Amino acid sequence: MPELDVSTTVNGRPVEMRLPTRLTLADFVRDRLGLTGTKVSCGMQVCGACTVLVDGDPVSACSYLACDVDGREVLTVEGLADGGELTPVQRAFVDCSALQCGFCTPGFVMAATALLRDEPHPTEEQIAHHLDGNLCRCTGYLPIVEAVLKASRAGGIDE
Amino acid sequence: MLPPFELRRPVSLAAAVDLVATGGTPYCGGTELLAVMRLGLASPETLVDLKRVPELVGITAAHGEIRLGARVTHREAAASDAVRTHAAILAAGAGLLGNVRVRATGTLAGNVCFAEPRSDILTALLALDASVDLRSADGARSVPIEDFVEGAFTTVRADEELLEAIRVPARSGPSAYVRFAPAEHPTVTVAVVATGDGCRVVVGAVGERPELFTFPGTGDVDPTAIAERVDITEDLNGHEDYKRHLTAVFVGRALEQMGVADA
Amino acid sequence: MSELRVVGTSVPRTDAVAKVTGAAVYTVDVTMPDMLHARVLRSDRAHARIDDIDTSAALALPGVVAVVVGSDLSSLFPRFGHIVPDHAILAIDKVRYYGEPVALIVATDLMVAADALSLVDVRYTELPAVLDTDAALADDSALVHETGYSGVSATPVVVSEYSHRNVAHEVERGWGDPDGAFAEAHLVVETRTHHPMLYAYAMEPYNAVARFTDGALEVVSTAQHPFMVARDLARVFSLPLSQVRVTAPYVGGGYGSKSYTKVEPLTAVGAWATGRAVKLVLDVEESIYTTRADSADVVVRTGFAADGTILVRDFELVLDTGAYADNSPLVLDKAVNRCFGPYRIPNLRVRGKAVYTNTSPASSYRGFGAFQGNLAGETNIDQGAERLGIDAAELRRRNLLLRGERLMPGLRGMDADLVADLDLLVDELDAGPAPAGRLRGVGFGCAATDAGAVPSSTALVKMQSDGSIVVLTGSTELGQGSRTVLAQIAAEELGLDMAAVRVLQSDTATTPFERTTGASRTTTLTGLAVQRACADVLARLRTAAAEVWECPVDDVAVRDHSIVAGGRSMSYGETVRAWFGPGGGEVVGQGVVRRAGVLAELPPFWEIGMVGVALDIDPETGQIDVHQLVTVADVGRAINPVLVEGQDLGAATQGLGGALTEQLVYDGSQIVNANMVEYRIPRITDRPRTFTSIVAERGDGIGPHGAKGVGEGARNPLPGAVAAAVARALGVWPDSLPLNPEHVWRLARKGISQRSGT
Repeated sequence: MPELDVSTTVNGRPVEMRLPTRLTLADFVRDRLGLTGTKVSCGMQVCGACTVLVDGDPVSACSYLACDVDGREVLTVEGLADGGELTPVQRAFVDCSALQCGFCTPGFVMAATALLRDEPHPTEEQIAHHLDGNLCRCTGYLPIVEAVLKASRAGGIDE
Repeated sequence: MLPPFELRRPVSLAAAVDLVATGGTPYCGGTELLAVMRLGLASPETLVDLKRVPELVGITAAHGEIRLGARVTHREAAASDAVRTHAAILAAGAGLLGNVRVRATGTLAGNVCFAEPRSDILTALLALDASVDLRSADGARSVPIEDFVEGAFTTVRADEELLEAIRVPARSGPSAYVRFAPAEHPTVTVAVVATGDGCRVVVGAVGERPELFTFPGTGDVDPTAIAERVDITEDLNGHEDYKRHLTAVFVGRALEQMGVADA
Repeated sequence: MSELRVVGTSVPRTDAVAKVTGAAVYTVDVTMPDMLHARVLRSDRAHARIDDIDTSAALALPGVVAVVVGSDLSSLFPRFGHIVPDHAILAIDKVRYYGEPVALIVATDLMVAADALSLVDVRYTELPAVLDTDAALADDSALVHETGYSGVSATPVVVSEYSHRNVAHEVERGWGDPDGAFAEAHLVVETRTHHPMLYAYAMEPYNAVARFTDGALEVVSTAQHPFMVARDLARVFSLPLSQVRVTAPYVGGGYGSKSYTKVEPLTAVGAWATGRAVKLVLDVEESIYTTRADSADVVVRTGFAADGTILVRDFELVLDTGAYADNSPLVLDKAVNRCFGPYRIPNLRVRGKAVYTNTSPASSYRGFGAFQGNLAGETNIDQGAERLGIDAAELRRRNLLLRGERLMPGLRGMDADLVADLDLLVDELDAGPAPAGRLRGVGFGCAATDAGAVPSSTALVKMQSDGSIVVLTGSTELGQGSRTVLAQIAAEELGLDMAAVRVLQSDTATTPFERTTGASRTTTLTGLAVQRACADVLARLRTAAAEVWECPVDDVAVRDHSIVAGGRSMSYGETVRAWFGPGGGEVVGQGVVRRAGVLAELPPFWEIGMVGVALDIDPETGQIDVHQLVTVADVGRAINPVLVEGQDLGAATQGLGGALTEQLVYDGSQIVNANMVEYRIPRITDRPRTFTSIVAERGDGIGPHGAKGVGEGARNPLPGAVAAAVARALGVWPDSLPLNPEHVWRLARKGISQRSGT
C-alpha cells in the first residue's frame, strides 16, 4: 500500500509519521493520534462534524488526505482549550446550552473559531452563511447562533 | 474508504505535466475527486498533487483579463479584489457554492474539470466568456468554456492534459448572479452579463450543463423564451415544468437585480 | 414543600464541557486491546435467493481474519427482534431488501476489511419483490417472510393470524356505533394523506464494539436501550443475562432510531467468530438502510354535528414496515392510539396494518406512530372547521378533552389543561402581514400521546463517606440532558451542590435495569426512581444514626440536610463514617418504579403537543421561510427550563424537516437519496426567524415535583400545522409531505386556477 513520510504539527505538537496515501485526515487524528474529538458523520463534506483547521482554514477531515498536512499545521478541538481554560467560543457553547448530543459540537466549535478569526464581529446572517455547512440534528440551531454572537461579544477567539 | 493510490507531489509545472502525461490524475483540493473515489466511482492509480507547483498559484489581472491559476480556491476567488471588480458574478458564485470548507479547499480549476452539471463556477464562467488553458507534454491550447464542457461530468480535456489556468475577460458592466438552492445542489443558477456588444444569459443547474443565451441588449432578454428553450434534466430538485418555470423566474430576478426595467 | 434550590433552575449541562472540548467519549471513540475491524457486504437486490457465497478470495487477502455468512450461524439463534424475532443477523437462504447484510468481513485493519468486500462472490437467483404496500397486499403477492417466527425456537415456525401473510401486525380498535353516528352527522369530512419514509439521522452512525471475556459477552454500543439489546444478545448466544454486558457511553443522537437492537448482534458475531474484540462502524448510507421511519397512508372520516361537535371518527392506516418488523408493530399500535387526537370522540373505529415489503426495515423515530397519523387527523379537523365555518381553534376548544376526561377507556384521565394550552398558543401566532411578494399562512395543531412507556425503572444512589453521591441509572444520555436533570433531582432531594452529584448511566452489568430511554419518560419515571432512591438513602442514614447514637429510629430525623436526634446532629458523610468506622463505606439507596400505586394506570402521563407556525411562502418558487415557531411545553414542572426549551425547539425543528424537506425516495429496489447530500435536513439558514417557547407549569405531572415528560410532543403536530399554514395561504390542502418548493409551487398553481375557475 503506497505510503509517504509526513511531517506536521498537530495542536502545536510536531508529528512525524509514515502514512498510507489513502488515509484521511480524520482517521489520522482519530486512529493514529487518539484525538477522537473530531467526529465523522456524513462522509460527504456536508455535515461539518469533522471540521478541523489546516493552517487556519476549515476543512472536512473525512475527505482530506492526511498526507496533505505535510508541512502544515493542524488544529483540532483538543487543541483549543489550552491548559483546561475554555476559549470564548467553547465557553459560549456551554453557557448558551448550544449542544445536546454533542456529536456535531467539535465541528461547530472549530467552524465558529475560524469565522471569528476572519470576522470578529459577524452579523447573524454572516454566522448563518458561515455555518450553513455544519449540521446539528438536536438543537434547532438558535442556541448555536446565540453562542457565536456571545463569543464574538466576549472577544472572539482571543481572551 | 478511499481506494489505494500513489500520491506524487511535483514542485514544477514541467514535472506535473510529465506525471499527468504518463497517466497521473491531477489533484488539488480534492473536494470532488476524493468524493467520487470514496464512492467507488473512480480509482486512479496515481494522483498528481498540484499544491506544490508554483506556476499554478494566484490571481493576476493584466491585459484586460484575469488569470486564475489552477490552485486558486473558491474562497480566494470570492475574496479577490480583481475578481470582485472585473468578474463580480464569479466572485458571487464562488462565495456561495458548497460550504465554507469546500470553498477553502476546492479549486475553480478542479470544479471546471469535474463539470458537475450544477456548478456555480461553470455558470459564471460561461456568462463571462472565459476560457481555459490546457497544457500537455506536447504543447498548450486554450479552449473557450463553451466548448470545454461537453456534458454532465465530461469535458474535452484529454487525460494527459493539465488545466493550467482559467482566463476571464475583465468586465465592469452590469451583471447579476442568482441561484435557487433549497437543496445542497442548486436547482437553478442564472448569470447575466451585459457586454459592450450584447447581453449573455446563462442558465445552469437545470440541465446537463449550463446553457448560454445571447441577446442584443439587456432589454431584449426574454425570460419566458429562455425557459422554453433551455434543456432540462429531471432529478430530485424538480420536474421539467417546475424547472422551466423557475428558469423564467430567476432570469427575471437576475434582470431585476441589474436594474433592468420590465423584467 | 420547602423552597426549591436546584430544581426549576437552568443549571449548565453537566456534560457540556466534555462535549465542547472533544473529551466526551462516544462508542465510535472506543477501542479495545487487540481489536479487529469489520465491514459488511450487503445485498445489491431487493429479494433474491442466495445460491452460493464464495469467500475464498476474501479470506486469502492478507489481514482478513474471518468472513462470516448466515449459514455459519447455525449453532446460534441467528435472528433478533424484541417483538418478532424475524431479523436475520446475516441473511439466511434469501435476502429481503437492498442493503441487507450478507457477509461480515473481519480484518486487522479497516482498509483491508473494506478492500475485501469486492472479493466476496455472492450468487443470487432473483425473486419477485414487493416494493410498496399495495404490491405486498395484492392477492398473489410474493411473500417477504414465508414463515412466522418464535422467540423460543431457532427454526422459523408457521404462524400468521393476520389478513394477509405480508402483514406484520394488524390492529382494530374502537367503541360506540360509528356507522350509526355517521348516519346522524351534519357533516362528514374525509381526508387522505401520505406520510413519507423518513431517516432520523442521528449524527453518530450505528456502531458497536464487542468482545468475549471469560465466556461473557461485552458490547459497547450507541444504543438507547442497552437492556433490551442485552436480551437479544443473550438469546443469540444462549447466554444468561448476567453474562451479557452492554454499555452505552455518550450517544451521538438517537431520536428513537437507536431504540432496540441494530448492529450489536453483527458485531458480536464477529467477536464470536474470531475470538477477538471487533469494531463495526456503519457509514451513513448503511445507517439509512438499517432503520428508517415507517411511511403511512391514512384515510380518515369525521362526522361533525352542526355546532362542530365531533360525533365519530374512522381511521384506516397502512404502514410500510419494510423487510423486518423491528419496533413497527408497536409503531402501529401507537399510530392507532395517537391518530384521532386528544378529543372527545363518542364513536370511534381505527383499523391499522403494518405491512412487510422488500424495503429497508422501519422502526421508531421520535414520536413514532404519532406524527404519521396526526397529519391526517389534524388536517381533517382543520378541513372540518373550514367547511363548518367555525374557527379552527374554536372547533378544537369545543372538542378537546377536559382535565380528567378519558381519551380511551381504561387509560389514565387527561392530566393537562388542553384548552388553556391551545389559548396560550394561538394568542402568540403572528398572522401577518407578510413581506412583499410572500404569502403568510398560519397553522397549528394538537396532539396528546400515551407517553412514558411501561413504568419500570430502578435507580441506585450511593452516599459516599464525604457526603457526595453517585447516582446509578440504566437510562441513557442521548443529548436530552438526563445526566443533568437526574443530578438536579438528586441534588434537590439531598440538599447537595450539583458538584457533589455524579450520574453514571447505561451499563447493564452495573447500573440497574431501565427498560428503555424513550417515550419522553426519563425525567418522570427515572426521576421518580432517583427521588425514591434518595429517600431510601435518607431512611438508611437514619437507621445508621440510630445505631450509632443507640436511640430508636423514630427519634432520628432529617433536618436541613443533616441527620438529627435530640440535640445531636451529623452530616450525611459523618453518618456514613460513624456507622462504618475507619474502614470506610457507603450507604446505598434503591428507588423502584413499577406499574403499581400511582403508576398503576397507563400511560404514566400524557405528552402534550401544541405547536403553531407562521410561514412566509414565495408562490413563484414554492420556497417557505418559517417566520415564527411557537411551542407549548405542558411539562407540569420544568426541572431545567433551558433544557425543556431545547427539547421543544429540537423536536419542532425535526418536525419542520419532516414537513418541508425530508423523505427517503425509493426508485425500484434502491433509495436514491441514501446520503446526507440529497436527504435534506434543516440547516442553520432554515431556522425559524422567531421562536416562542411557552412552558406551562401547573404541577400536574406524576413525576418529581409535578413534572411530566417532554421531547416528542412538539414533533408530532408540526407537520399538520405546516400543512394547515400552507393550505390557508394557498387555498389548497396538501395531502402529502414533504412540502418542498416544487410541491408548494404546484399547490399554489392549483389554488390560483381554482380561484380563477379555470
